[in-house]
Amino acid sequence: MNEITKLQPGLEPGVGVSSGGGPAITLRQGDGLDAHTRRTLLQQERAIARKYSSNGKAMWPYTVITLGCFAMWLAFWPLAMLDIMPLWIGFPLSCIFAAGGYITSHEAMHSNIGRPGTPQRFWNEAVGEVATIILIFPFSMARMMHLHHHYYTNDPEKDPDYTDAAPGKYSAWYKTWLNRQPGVDGSIHHYKRVLERIGTPAAKKALRDTMLLQLFSMAFFFAMSWAGYAMEVALLWWLPRHIGLSYIRYWLSWAPHHPRTGTGRYDNTRVFRTWIGHWLSMGMQYHVVHHLYPEVPNHLTRSAYRELKPILEARGVDCSPLKD
Amino acid sequence: MVYEKLTIMQTALRQLFHWMPFLFGIGFIAPLIAQTMAYWDIPAPLGISRIAFGLMIGAPWGLYATLRGRWL
Repeated sequence: MNEITKLQPGLEPGVGVSSGGGPAITLRQGDGLDAHTRRTLLQQERAIARKYSSNGKAMWPYTVITLGCFAMWLAFWPLAMLDIMPLWIGFPLSCIFAAGGYITSHEAMHSNIGRPGTPQRFWNEAVGEVATIILIFPFSMARMMHLHHHYYTNDPEKDPDYTDAAPGKYSAWYKTWLNRQPGVDGSIHHYKRVLERIGTPAAKKALRDTMLLQLFSMAFFFAMSWAGYAMEVALLWWLPRHIGLSYIRYWLSWAPHHPRTGTGRYDNTRVFRTWIGHWLSMGMQYHVVHHLYPEVPNHLTRSAYRELKPILEARGVDCSPLKD
Repeated sequence: MVYEKLTIMQTALRQLFHWMPFLFGIGFIAPLIAQTMAYWDIPAPLGISRIAFGLMIGAPWGLYATLRGRWL
């Protein structure tokens, strides 16, 4: 019998009220747990999370990968314009950089690469600023909106990502495109509206950064295109951005939060299994760990989940889709 | 005075972003169509240049996106 089942005699396999070996009143899972059990489970949960929490000194691969990929993407432009590198090489790699960039930026949003006041802080901010440029999505806006998503997960009014809600996977993919249309209140358009409503100096800065990045990128698009490099713009930036945004919206927002009904600590995400696997889903099968402990970096959420699983089950999380 | 200038600038920027799909049609889609046709060696119809053909597609398409709020 493990420590979790010891806390909840009613959950012991084969032991219950009917067998005569259980408690007079069976303790139920989830909300039915008494205060002592909840507190003990939380302590155990936090002890496990602490083991997997990010350490700025060990997060350097995120920095190296981000800056390396960004340098490669910058190099693609002259290489493609001078016909040294064919666009069929640059295009898929740019798509990977666009989608993958969000993952490293996401670590920076949670200060996992370098906490304030540490020597790694500079690199945390550098990664955040650079990683989502291909998405034309400034770090200031990304960080603020993502933290709001954590505060108000699945709240129809306050969760900035709620516009990704869709009844099924096909409609979810469609919505990723629809939300980016000029007259639809979704994606970055929705973020702008949320930032205007927040109205703090940080929100105003995020709006200004967004405007400047959008203006710069459009000026770059138009100048390059009229200079004869429209195909380079299309295959190194425009299409990778759209593909990357759709991929991120589906896997990082819709899939782990569907059907977006729970707003509690243990039910605002779902554990799911996908045929595309751990890496291509960007670790989102274990998104519950991220919402509970954002300080656990993406590459450690699977290990943390495996250790936390008995506690999560005791708290009423449906872990059945993932056996391990 | 400063507030007035700020308001004029904000209005100008809002208008610029409002018309951005139309500008996108002219600034990006038109040359993309022309250069894609050139890459595949496809001539423009009616004896017009490829860029004129690109503008004939890109500008109305951008205008449609601006007015309707969707590209398709």
